[in-house]
Amino acid sequence: MSKFKKGGKKEAPGVNTSSLPDIVFMLLFFFMVATTTKDADPSVEVTQPTGVRAEDMTPFKQRSEIDFLYIGVPRNKSRLEDFKFGYALFLDNVAQPSPGELYSVNTVRRWKLDKFEAKPDRMQQPLKEVITCVKADEKAPTGIIFDIRKELQEIEALKLAYAVKDNGNY
Amino acid sequence: MAKRDIPEINAGSMADIAFLLLIFFLVTTTMDRDKAYIRPIPKKVEITIPPEPIQKRDICKIVANSRNQLMLRENFVEDPDEISELILEWYRKNEDLSAAETAAASLNPQHPGFEFPFYNRFGMAEIDQNIERTTKEAEEIEEVEDADPALIEYYWAKVSEWEKKKKALKLYGKSELPEISPQAHIRIEVQIKTGYEYFAKIQSEIEEALFELRDEKAQELWGFGYGRIITTLGNEPTDAEFTQKKALLELLYPARIIEVTPKN
Repeated sequence: MSKFKKGGKKEAPGVNTSSLPDIVFMLLFFFMVATTTKDADPSVEVTQPTGVRAEDMTPFKQRSEIDFLYIGVPRNKSRLEDFKFGYALFLDNVAQPSPGELYSVNTVRRWKLDKFEAKPDRMQQPLKEVITCVKADEKAPTGIIFDIRKELQEIEALKLAYAVKDNGNY
Repeated sequence: MAKRDIPEINAGSMADIAFLLLIFFLVTTTMDRDKAYIRPIPKKVEITIPPEPIQKRDICKIVANSRNQLMLRENFVEDPDEISELILEWYRKNEDLSAAETAAASLNPQHPGFEFPFYNRFGMAEIDQNIERTTKEAEEIEEVEDADPALIEYYWAKVSEWEKKKKALKLYGKSELPEISPQAHIRIEVQIKTGYEYFAKIQSEIEEALFELRDEKAQELWGFGYGRIITTLGNEPTDAEFTQKKALLELLYPARIIEVTPKN
């Protein structure tokens, strides 16, 4: 006569998973809040230099008052010698121009104006106010940036931003 | 009839749905924020009047050549991190001189601050006089028939500049508003093949120096840092008090940066 029954094989009770959705939703909301949408995957490789005290571009992004422009080594190396200094431009939201045109700063002017026209009227800031953010590779020659700057000056898009990697905060 | 239990909805697949959404967000978003230095591009003008000569002391020239060597005011800089210190020195050298001391120093080449920009000081009376004078000038220009609208705008801009100074001085709470020489600027000269890394480093150092100057002044005047002003304005861009504080700090330590287009 034992007080402890040893009768029969018992199955281990299943883990209660009814709170799993809650946990996953919590994770989901965290990621929704803490991240911002990715822009187009550029077809050029860009390693940004580091800097401090840089301004956060997120508010401008949310109001779509900013256009991004990449300067980097093209991922497709086969046509490397076609580009001046071996660096190519990548403009967001446009189909890639043909390789011959890739490093032609005239494209910048057309791209900027096209993007400006494409915006709905209610979001239209004067072109002067729309920032052009240059994300350049740390080894990219600065001359390219000044070429772009000259083009922007011609069409009076007078705000330029130089992107850096900045992990600090104010 | 007995009450029938309403069958519960099977929530077992809820987790799957949530996971799906989660993975979607993981893939389409990114953690890092875009950070950048905003720099205005000057408007294109056809120069008709030759520009006034600028004194050497008013230029803080930073040069980076195609071999990525740095030079600040004709001295080589071994460590790029030193640039911000040197800019700070350039801003601060003559900041605390009184009007009489400034006048004496500007004539004395032996003075340690002779090669650094001097500060002008404006009292309230002087600012009021200037507002009056510039308003009169602007009104006169407006009277002229077929005056160039750009010219009129230029004259009114002068008036609003003085009005800004008046507001700033009121907020500053002292008898005089120090202002760095209006010609003083930081000049970045690079070559076509200078790496972007160095150009960005120079911009970063300038920003660091300006932050430090403004931060220290904010601490002294109000007991909190410049960072707090920036963050508050980031969340609440229309906050009147902080907008004015920022304007004052920017007037005391203006970010006048000229980027010279490289020729070779």
